[in-house]
Amino acid sequence: MTKGVKICIAAVTAVFIGAVIATAIIFRHAESEYVEIIQDNQIIYTIDIANSENRTFRIESDDGGWNDVTIEDGKIYISDADCPDHTCIKTGVLRSESVPIVCLPHRLVIRFSDKNGE
Amino acid sequence: MKTKKLAELALLTAVALIIFIIELRIPNILPIPGVKLGLANIITVYAVYKFSAKETLMIVATRVILGSLFSSNFSVIIYSLSGAIMCLVGMLLVKRVIPLKYIWLCSIIGAVFHNTGQMITAVIMMRSFAVIAYYPPLIISGCIAGLFTGLCAGFVLKRLPQSFK
Repeated sequence: MTKGVKICIAAVTAVFIGAVIATAIIFRHAESEYVEIIQDNQIIYTIDIANSENRTFRIESDDGGWNDVTIEDGKIYISDADCPDHTCIKTGVLRSESVPIVCLPHRLVIRFSDKNGE
Repeated sequence: MKTKKLAELALLTAVALIIFIIELRIPNILPIPGVKLGLANIITVYAVYKFSAKETLMIVATRVILGSLFSSNFSVIIYSLSGAIMCLVGMLLVKRVIPLKYIWLCSIIGAVFHNTGQMITAVIMMRSFAVIAYYPPLIISGCIAGLFTGLCAGFVLKRLPQSFK
């Protein structure tokens, strides 16, 4: 086994272990059942999505834009929006504590709450 | 280009396409886009060691373009192509330090490069970093799939007649 092979094996092992750890962090089941909806750095709603009826509501921003937020079977996602890029819709269902749903044009963030609601 | 070489390259491309089409029949086990075995990579990693960079690129490009046409997934060809080219670049780079005996290692590194290429394309295409969340699981699946295809390539090489080695 040459030195090059050893370096490559070490690099691959490091990348693999790093990926396992990152996956564990990103995809760990969110402990919190409470979701915060944040607009302009202000928490405008805190919702217990697990015990929330299915509904869709519109959040309007100061400049006249809007996002339709849908709660369905304990999951939350942005179903429609008038922003140009639709990144928030493409993000899909909020799954993880480390990956929030973000709509940059309307400065809207949907994420799991740190504390278990009040 | 000699006729014999042309025939060899064409044969390998055909084999890679057949493997690719058979693999389409294997259902995805994980709900993550991009997770697949990549069995056609057996041919690529073999070609990296057997042929020049230019000849391998010809095999890979033909396989990706025709494969996309056959699988009627032509709209996502940019992902396949960027992944395949990054994979090839990675394997050609590490081929210098990795002897044929450790072909599986070359294959794993190729798979990681493949996932990286696709991830860069996805970030550019979707103009969003949200897809990065899929990168670590893709790397894990890539390492396992790369090890598998690399070992396959190793076994094939052992059984090939001397003239093909």
